[in-house]
Amino acid sequence: MQDEKKLVERAQHHDQEAFAQLYEEHFDKIYRYVTLKIGNETEAEDMTQQVFLNALQSISSFKWKGVPFSAWLFRIAHNQVVDYFRSKKRTTVPLDESLASDNNNPQLLTEQKLDIEQLILATKQLTEAQREVISLRFAGELSIAQVAKAIGKSQGAVKALQHSAIVALRKTLRVTEDE
Amino acid sequence: MERLLVKGETIEQCLQSYPEQAATLKSLLQTALASRQAVAIQPRAEFKARARYQFHSALQEWVTQRRHPFLSWFPRWATVVTIVLGVLMMGGGTIAAASYSMPDNLLYPVKLATEQVQVALTPSDIGKAELCAKFADRRVAEIIYTANKGDAQRIEVITQRLDERLAMLARLTSPIEVAEAPRMLEAPPPMQLEEAESSQEIPGDKNNRAKLRSTVANYAINHPAGLRAALKKAPESAKPALRRAIAVSVAGYEKALKALD
Repeated sequence: MQDEKKLVERAQHHDQEAFAQLYEEHFDKIYRYVTLKIGNETEAEDMTQQVFLNALQSISSFKWKGVPFSAWLFRIAHNQVVDYFRSKKRTTVPLDESLASDNNNPQLLTEQKLDIEQLILATKQLTEAQREVISLRFAGELSIAQVAKAIGKSQGAVKALQHSAIVALRKTLRVTEDE
Repeated sequence: MERLLVKGETIEQCLQSYPEQAATLKSLLQTALASRQAVAIQPRAEFKARARYQFHSALQEWVTQRRHPFLSWFPRWATVVTIVLGVLMMGGGTIAAASYSMPDNLLYPVKLATEQVQVALTPSDIGKAELCAKFADRRVAEIIYTANKGDAQRIEVITQRLDERLAMLARLTSPIEVAEAPRMLEAPPPMQLEEAESSQEIPGDKNNRAKLRSTVANYAINHPAGLRAALKKAPESAKPALRRAIAVSVAGYEKALKALD
């Protein structure tokens, strides 16, 4: 965390290399978070880029409070998603087929695409709070403690939300006995 | 769940600690594992490369504006005149800064001028051709960036530059030598510097030529693909200009590859 703090301070002092490093470290996670929230890869691309452009403009206002820098980025991303749904005036978005990772195995790719599509469809059934926790935990790879700080809830509350989300997802995800 | 997701234990290992709740827990843990598919969502390599380029340009502009606030009002004509005098004297920092700039950036004329100087000062044809390929790549990124802003006129201008770079690439790598009359330095824009006549083959050129062919072959696929992807998202006003850019890149790379074969 101390290394990240130094990196952020350097970025705030207009160190181009420091900000570029922050960009590389967090880009994929922000993309995953946005994609999971809105279920559309094409629109998630532009939104992800906009998150970092917004971060660039407002990094001087970032204050280190023991919360990871990624939590601040996720907050910006969250606001982007809220604006997106507000402007689109819808809560469901058509799924984009090309959501799976770059993979040379066609069968694995097909299975992965189906799994991801299932997951995104399933998360649409969650409450906003549950979806936020699942997106930050599984797409953003934040710990319980980090999620708690990011969304301003206690760790107990986050665990409860995670549990209730998993219970809800279990009903809609096709999980086989073999997994 | 932390044991499964964080410590990496198996479902069976977790269930051993809770035998009475095993039936309920198993399906929950299986669901949690399935949810981890979220990490398999990855951005397209093409988008990531384009986004990185655009971000670095924005980053550069952000740094420049904060270090040199007077540049925001420095007139464009004065900037261009300064380029003629200053590009050979500039420190590496400013030139590096300009290299990521986009067409709507104050340092963009510096970028173009620096490119021209680099080509003029490179002794071998293959070296010049390598630079042409590199600068064609930049033009395509600039077109994609500009397409998002819907500026059709600017897309046309950059497409023209792309066309010139690809034509130069084909000319330089063509097996038929063509002597060209030297072109004088003109008032900007458009700025043209002297091109050296075809030079003698330099040892190592064959390897460089093969590498260049490989690079150009990749660009021949990726650049039109990137432009087509931009066409899908571009506003209607920019689409005709983008279609022409696609046509120019396809035709230009076809000629370049024929010259390299």
